[in-house]
Amino acid sequence: MKADTLNGQLDPLILATVADEPAHGYAILQRLKERSSGAFDLAEGTIYPALHRLERDGLLRSAWSTDSGRRRRVYSLTRAGSSALEVRRREWRLFAHAVEAVMG
Amino acid sequence: MSWLEDLSGELYARGVTRRDRVRIVAELSDHIACEPGCEERLGDPRALATSFADELATAEARGSAFATFGALAVAAVALAVSLITLGRFAHYPGYSNGLSTALFFPALLGMVVAPQVALVAGTLAAWRALRRRWVTSLPAAEIALIHRRARVALAAGFATMAGVELYVVDFSERLPAWWLGLAGGLAAAGGFGLWVAARTLARARTIVSGAAGPAGDIYDDLPVVGSGWLRARPWLLGALASLVVGLALGAFEAHAEHSVLEGIQRGLVEGLAAAIGFVLLGRAIGARPAGQSTDRGTSRSE
Repeated sequence: MKADTLNGQLDPLILATVADEPAHGYAILQRLKERSSGAFDLAEGTIYPALHRLERDGLLRSAWSTDSGRRRRVYSLTRAGSSALEVRRREWRLFAHAVEAVMG
Repeated sequence: MSWLEDLSGELYARGVTRRDRVRIVAELSDHIACEPGCEERLGDPRALATSFADELATAEARGSAFATFGALAVAAVALAVSLITLGRFAHYPGYSNGLSTALFFPALLGMVVAPQVALVAGTLAAWRALRRRWVTSLPAAEIALIHRRARVALAAGFATMAGVELYVVDFSERLPAWWLGLAGGLAAAGGFGLWVAARTLARARTIVSGAAGPAGDIYDDLPVVGSGWLRARPWLLGALASLVVGLALGAFEAHAEHSVLEGIQRGLVEGLAAAIGFVLLGRAIGARPAGQSTDRGTSRSE
């Protein structure tokens, strides 16, 4: 599935991915692939502008860490991000339920 | 040239700051180290750099508009406190009692006309930024419009603070020292706030956005004046706005000075000043319809 097919859902998907455990960009992408059983196979670079935007908006925070001598930026959810994720989850469930009811 | 070098070069070409460039390249470098050979799946470095630049330019434009509005609010408080204390406690000395009318009239322009320009341009910049706060990538032309509004507002803000300083110098032998110190200090503080906002704006203007789309205009921002009929007659909007401003100030002055003649004179001057402002700055602040604007392209092309 391409990034534009996700149609505005990339941001909440990223928030949901780091909700359980902080992660760096590559790990977030792998989690997205795994949890979607490979359906979300994005152009991998697209995730980084989204991560930076979510951090600017105060929904994510990030910090450098060192792993095997490599510097990596690890993202975690802020309190505002957690609230935003809950809102998006509720909206999505309502939407999915309505679509399911119509589509059968 | 490697994929990362390409990306770094493209980010540089779009004016992304060194700090952001270093961070982005380090993150992508880590990504490639996790899975060597994945560069193709990361996508075209030019497209990725464009995406970063468009979003950064949008965020910085919004930030600079809000910073400008905040700095103008501080400058407005400085002006208001100076004028109120002058009127109530220091006694207005009369314009002919200063050192020189060559100081007085520029000071008057700065303290009376410039704040109105700053208020209009600064409010329009902040309102556009607020109205479009959920958009991740604004069109380059729209970013350029926000920058121009903020630039006009800051220039007018500086002119206001300079006007207060000129007034302080002009009446340095007539007004009490405490007022001269108060007004001079407040104007300096207001000027410092404007300088900080100007730096924010200068930083925002270095980032090049390539997103296509129209700039929009004042008719998009203010539904009250957004009628198609008025949009087709932009000069009528200028005339109407000048009339309203002139009538409002004329009525206020007539009441305050207990003189209809005084009110008419000041109302005419104010209305004329508003009309001149519309002619000189209307295009810069998007008071002409987007259809007549030639603003297209990158935000750097202002």
